[in-house]
Amino acid sequence: MTQQPPAAVPQSPASTDGDVPQQPAFSQPRPAAAKPPLPDETRPPATSRLHRIALGEPIQAEIHDAVLREDAVLEFDHFSLWYGSKQALFDVSFPVARGKVTALIGPSGCGKSTLLRSINRMNDLIDSVRYEGDIRLNGESILGRQVDVIELRKRMGMVFQKPNPFPMSIFENVVYPLRIDGIRNRRLLKEVCEQSLRGAALWDEVKDRLHESGLGLSGGQQQRLCIARAIAGAPEVLLLDEPCSALDPIATAKIEDLINELRGEYSIVIVTHNMQQASRVSDYTALMYLGRLLEYGPTSDIFTRPHLPETNDYITGRFG
Amino acid sequence: MRSLEIARGCDVNAETSPNSRRLRRVTQPSVYVVDRLARGLIACGGLLTVVSVFGVLIYLCVEVMPLFRPERIERVASWSAATDAATTDSTDAPAPLDARRAGITKVTARGVAEPEATGVESGMSPSDSAPLVGLDDYARMYWVFQPRRRQVLLCRVGGELLARHAVGVEKTVTASTVNPWTGDFAIGYADGTVQTGKLSFKTEFLDDSAVTAAERALQPGESRPYRKGLLERTAEHQLRHHTLVVQQKKPIVVARDRRILLVDQAHSTRGTVLVAVSDDGMLRYARVTERKNLLTGETVTRLKQGQCPAQFDAEDSPAFLRVAGLGDNVFLVFRDGRLLRFDTRNPSSPVLVERRSVLDTPHARVRCVTFLIGKTSLVVGDSEGNIGVWFRIKPDDASTPDGVVLVRGHLLHGNGNAVTALAPSLRSRIMAAGYADGTVRLFHVTSEQQLAEGRFTAVRTAEPAAGGPDAGAAVRAVVLAPKDDHVLALARDRGMLWRVHAPHPEITWRSVFGKVWYEGYPEPEHVWQSSSGSDAFEPKYGLVPLIFGTIKATFYSMLFGAPLALLAAVYTSEFLHPRWKKRVKPTIEMMASLPSVVLGFLAALFFAPIVERIVPETLTALATVPFAVLWGAYLWQLLPIARHGHWHWLRIPLVAISVGVGLQLAAWLGPVVERTLFAGDVMLWLDGQIGTGTAGWMFLSLPLSALMAVLIGSRWVAPAVRRRLRNRPTRTYAVCVMGQFLLGSAAVIAVAWLLGAVLNQIAWDPRGTFVGTYVQRNAFVVGIVMGFAVIPIIYTVSDDALSAVPESLRAASLGAGATPWQTALRVVVPTAMSGLFSALMIGLGRAVGETMIVLMAAGNTPIIDWNIFSGFRTLSANIAVEMPEAVKGSTHFRMLFLAALTLFLMTFVLNTIAETIRLRFRKKAFEL
Ligand SMILES: Nc1ncnc2c1ncn2[C@@H]1O[C@H](COP(=O)(O)OP(=O)(O)O)[C@@H](O)[C@H]1O
Ligand SMILES: [Mg+2]
Repeated sequence: MTQQPPAAVPQSPASTDGDVPQQPAFSQPRPAAAKPPLPDETRPPATSRLHRIALGEPIQAEIHDAVLREDAVLEFDHFSLWYGSKQALFDVSFPVARGKVTALIGPSGCGKSTLLRSINRMNDLIDSVRYEGDIRLNGESILGRQVDVIELRKRMGMVFQKPNPFPMSIFENVVYPLRIDGIRNRRLLKEVCEQSLRGAALWDEVKDRLHESGLGLSGGQQQRLCIARAIAGAPEVLLLDEPCSALDPIATAKIEDLINELRGEYSIVIVTHNMQQASRVSDYTALMYLGRLLEYGPTSDIFTRPHLPETNDYITGRFG
Repeated sequence: MRSLEIARGCDVNAETSPNSRRLRRVTQPSVYVVDRLARGLIACGGLLTVVSVFGVLIYLCVEVMPLFRPERIERVASWSAATDAATTDSTDAPAPLDARRAGITKVTARGVAEPEATGVESGMSPSDSAPLVGLDDYARMYWVFQPRRRQVLLCRVGGELLARHAVGVEKTVTASTVNPWTGDFAIGYADGTVQTGKLSFKTEFLDDSAVTAAERALQPGESRPYRKGLLERTAEHQLRHHTLVVQQKKPIVVARDRRILLVDQAHSTRGTVLVAVSDDGMLRYARVTERKNLLTGETVTRLKQGQCPAQFDAEDSPAFLRVAGLGDNVFLVFRDGRLLRFDTRNPSSPVLVERRSVLDTPHARVRCVTFLIGKTSLVVGDSEGNIGVWFRIKPDDASTPDGVVLVRGHLLHGNGNAVTALAPSLRSRIMAAGYADGTVRLFHVTSEQQLAEGRFTAVRTAEPAAGGPDAGAAVRAVVLAPKDDHVLALARDRGMLWRVHAPHPEITWRSVFGKVWYEGYPEPEHVWQSSSGSDAFEPKYGLVPLIFGTIKATFYSMLFGAPLALLAAVYTSEFLHPRWKKRVKPTIEMMASLPSVVLGFLAALFFAPIVERIVPETLTALATVPFAVLWGAYLWQLLPIARHGHWHWLRIPLVAISVGVGLQLAAWLGPVVERTLFAGDVMLWLDGQIGTGTAGWMFLSLPLSALMAVLIGSRWVAPAVRRRLRNRPTRTYAVCVMGQFLLGSAAVIAVAWLLGAVLNQIAWDPRGTFVGTYVQRNAFVVGIVMGFAVIPIIYTVSDDALSAVPESLRAASLGAGATPWQTALRVVVPTAMSGLFSALMIGLGRAVGETMIVLMAAGNTPIIDWNIFSGFRTLSANIAVEMPEAVKGSTHFRMLFLAALTLFLMTFVLNTIAETIRLRFRKKAFEL
């Protein structure tokens, strides 16, 4: 498998993902990450692996045994994805543990969001996307022709980088997944609304103004509202794409507490830029680099005794 | 560095060495200047816009205002005459006169100017109250017709006698009449003959050398009696001589050896009509045709006569005889209010066709009867001070033999004093009335308003009124000057002249925006009709039909254009591939650059005639095209390539093909539909001549039943089908869904038909309301073409609004498992609502003000009718059509400005409401 010339394809304007990776405040411009070879001063001692990746050679991901022992809710099976002619994911294979929090970390532009969006097939909305391999949810493929994408997405809840509540009341925001299913039973809606808001640790703050606009909330509250909306549909998997990157530290702490509370009830995949956050909230951590999975294992192992020196370099901030 | 700073014109601090940071901190003065300049310019521009909009408003108001200014009269002359109190024709002796004119007392020559007896006092004398006085164009002199004394007096305003003309022949005069419009008079004699003649003013210019020094000394504006007339020095220093000319013919025998009691005449297309009532109780009708023999030069008079009993006896003789317009109807009015109407279309046998009372109260007496201009409306003044205006209408349920009945269209109230004199205007529907208490009122009949009131002021009389009201003040005669600019009133011993200021007497708020009962109309109506061929025509300035036309045009074009434009915008912004959108959007926007005159031209000369030929096909297409497009969509789902992104570009050509198929289907089905639903001929069907209303209701309820089907289908049927077929292959599913669609379509038609049948049974025929007689230029054609004119603007603005909805909202909705359609409807459209609303309002504004399309394709008939197949006239088209022919400053001209003002206010109010609503929507989506 050889890599195509990088940055040959301009980014499609049709991207429906609000989470565009080049946020200048948070990440370096993408070409720096994608351009081989790496600058000399940041080149780690054992460059062989990163170097080989940069050259486009296939490498074997380092997956800890502890992960394989878990009950998998999701399995990536030799999954590759192209944006037009540009490959964004390379032969990714790993399981995601049920009821646990799995963090995806890696430098910007390495394909974390792409991987996350593949799980609920939001990538399908981009015309040029093409993929190979398979993703299985509870053992069933989710990429097949027969799969109803709409129903698949109903089984997942997704939260984006930037809070994106609808310009409706808080109540309507939360029950939106039920509304689109045509549920109009007022009592049920109220029940779900309260449950979800409690689940998102927002109930006490908004219970008196459920019928005010969701846009009137603060950034952190808005993001928790989005989480409430995501869990209102009773999803099997919760996908969080850098949910805290637009929030201040206090709001971030609240969201992290919330993730800790949701653990066990939902299988959560969280993309994060922030390694401390990954170490604080996740059970397992996957490190990605230029569209490949580098290492995947229990969070404590990844952060304290990673198998690969490149992982160590990354978590200590030597590259990325 | 320093030199650089100096070069830039900054002030330099000599001590501190300038560094780059310091450099950047200094704002250039030029920046301030530009900033201030820009601010000033922008403020100026904004202010100018506001000022110019208000300028337009003020200009319109200024042009319109005179319409509603109150009319008034102003006394210009009054004079008194110590008369011999002659109320009959018996004395010929003129009495000295004390004239007082405009405050300056000037004793002049002898001469009495006095109306003839009005018959009130003269016992058997049946002579009625026709205006026996006439005023000249300049309101300088007037004639008094006194056939009983066999004379016509010409008097100067002020009372001075100018001339005495002989009239009539040496026989006993028993009746007379004068037509105020033409000056034609008729005199009836005791021997049954009637003599006709004509009074007219004559003007000639004299040379200064032909007159004496006294006349030569006249200054411009001055005048003096001269040779049986009035000599006047005009502003151009010419000498103008005004005289009265009396022509008369030989008496004709109308009722041999009978006394003529009443007489009247008219001019029909086939000669003069003489009508008389003789003392044997017969109504005599005579049509006099004069032929000139070309060889001998002799005139041969031919008479065609007829008669019928007028149903009265000696004690109860009628008081007024009036023959209408062209001599086709004769009215005979008795003092107690009985009125007999004779149909005289066949001159040899007049028939009594209607008999009724024209008074409300039993004690009232008819005091005066006259016609309005056109001699169609009969004006009856009574002793209670009321004036009734009667005209003939043709109701469907008339019980009279000729199908015509007389109705009182207007009632003008006085103050309780008897009406003693009436005078119609010679050019308009103004009516002057004199009362027993000496008041004179001016009315505008059609708008039923009193324009002004004047009153005889107390003048020095020979014998002060001994108790009781001033009997001498009772108005004997009133007359309006030919240009409606003066009114003259004569009492027994005094006279008075007023100047009338009534440039727009017919206009009131009520007559413009309310229903008005025009002459000959079966009931009060909103009418706009500003011109016609005939002189007696009354312009009708009701704006409501035009406002209605504007609303109708807007309604039908928005009905067609708005959904299409909005759907197109939703489609291109939410579903269309950006690559395609890049091409589609400019194409639609280019439609906006199509001049509306071209669209109108196409609509009127190309589209309208074609549609007229294929009405059933067009109606069918309204159903088959959506059907074919949906059907195409379902077929597409069946194709294996449907799920492939690569082939999505095929969709648009497929839509085009579907539309074509729909049209073809319509072409095939059209004749079938016409045969089965419209009884074989859609034109006759629409006209209401054949068939039942079922088909109409069916077409009207199609959208409703389709909507029902969609709701039921999406709520219950589709989920059930999906559940059932969950694990089947996509293809099976698609086939089933298609079957469901076909069944649904059939159900839609069936339900619509059922609804139609039921509605037809229980309700009324839809023909005559929203559908009806087909006219080539109609609201349907305009709706479609103007719809096309408003689509681009609505489309562009709403597409921009939809595209401005943040992608993150779409992602959130889709991520929650909503379909793109749900996302569009539940998230994108509500978020973009303020923009969509503005788009609609801009489209509405364009439709309201659109001129050329409606001008060319709407037929311009100002009728109030929701029928989609009939024409209309909008405010804007009306202004465009009539402005070139309106005389500046005329009522018509100002009414067009009022139409413009109405249009302005309509759009203004519309925009204000729209903006308010839009802002409320905007607030909702504000924080995005
Ligand atoms: N819509 C798109 N079209 C084309 N390329 C894209 C699109 N979205 C992301 N990419 C590319 O895919 C790679 C991975 O992007 P992403 O998954 O957003 O990275 P991350 O979330 O890890 O920062 C990047 O190189 C980016 O340029
Ligand atoms: Mg990302």
